Amino acid sequence: MPNLGRFFNDFKNTVLTKFGPNPANMLIWTGVLGWFFSSAAQIVAIAANDQIPKEQKKFLIPQEIGDGAVNVLSFLVVTSAIKGLASKLVSTGKIATPAIREYLKKSKVNPKTTVGNVMFDISKMPNFYLIKDEYTKFKNGVDVVGMTVGSILSCNIITPIVRNKIAANRQRKALVEMEKERYQNIQSPKGYTMNDYLNYAYSKPSSGSLRI
Amino acid sequence: MAVINSVRPTNFLRSFKNKASQFALNCIGGKNKSFTVTSDRAINSFDWIGKNLSSAENRLILGASALMSQPFIDAANKDVDDETRRYSICRTVAKILAGTFTGYTIRKLCIKSIDAFTKLPNEIKPEMKFKRLRSCLLPTIKSTAEELAQYKNALGTLMALGVMVFTNFIIDAPLTKWLTNVFTGHTKPKEGVENAKSR
Repeated sequence: MPNLGRFFNDFKNTVLTKFGPNPANMLIWTGVLGWFFSSAAQIVAIAANDQIPKEQKKFLIPQEIGDGAVNVLSFLVVTSAIKGLASKLVSTGKIATPAIREYLKKSKVNPKTTVGNVMFDISKMPNFYLIKDEYTKFKNGVDVVGMTVGSILSCNIITPIVRNKIAANRQRKALVEMEKERYQNIQSPKGYTMNDYLNYAYSKPSSGSLRI
Repeated sequence: MAVINSVRPTNFLRSFKNKASQFALNCIGGKNKSFTVTSDRAINSFDWIGKNLSSAENRLILGASALMSQPFIDAANKDVDDETRRYSICRTVAKILAGTFTGYTIRKLCIKSIDAFTKLPNEIKPEMKFKRLRSCLLPTIKSTAEELAQYKNALGTLMALGVMVFTNFIIDAPLTKWLTNVFTGHTKPKEGVENAKSR
């Protein structure tokens, strides 16, 4: 039988080691899960709303699915990238507090070639413990700011634009399908082929032009 | 048998990531430039944000900024007809309000409740109830005060996500539906205006 107490302790310790020193990572991963659950609920809400007409639902449900998928993807890609860049700015010494700058100077780190080099990491330096507290506080703050900017950009700007494009395309296709179905059920008048009749019907200004 | 030297995808990705990161770093202020944040206020702000900005505050910031951008993006969407656009804007605003309200409240409450059961022995006061349970969520490995605070935020957020699986359906969805109907009712064009437009 599995030891539940040990499993629970392992879980707590994993949360501490993974997210304790790195709050921005926690915000990213819980953000991804949050958007996923939220989108699932919103899709159910639209489907269950009787006051939204069928044609609007054809737009809103794909909009929601697109919203959820793009949200999760953009959260992972854009937010991680911006957070990663913010992290690199601090870890390579490109942005630093006066205390960190002084430490780099004393450690004889070349400000021209080493500082700002992606392979350089202050936290890997042998006497890093001298600056650890100052560095960790500053880096965590910059990381969280980077993560917040990234999430605003991904969820509030990129997502709505992309999801609207996706949903509009889907609505257009869905409406065309609905129109096709409607015409397939019409009996062809005597002496006309179905094609003739459809061409006639489409040529009338009051029919066939979809308002998309 | 010939040995085929293949490029590992992980190495390729790492190399690409490093090159992209270096390019982005060089773009910020130039190749050999570095910046020193000299203002104490700015340094203290970064410190405060790193320590205190939990997922609840993050949700609030996202909600406020969403309200300032998403309805306008929907309003500028020319790919749909006026009626769909109106529904879309109303639903977006309703969704942001409902999502931010429940998201912030539940995250905050869960982080508070985790905090109540993550007390260090010296934090347990005699008048407290359930003394034996007060430290049941403490991790078994040593940590700094800052790491413990972040641990509480993380555990509270994970708990909130579990709670929100249910509240999304119980509170979020009906609240979004109700708000959408309220907003669409208020923004419905008047009969006369509609007829004049169609004429």
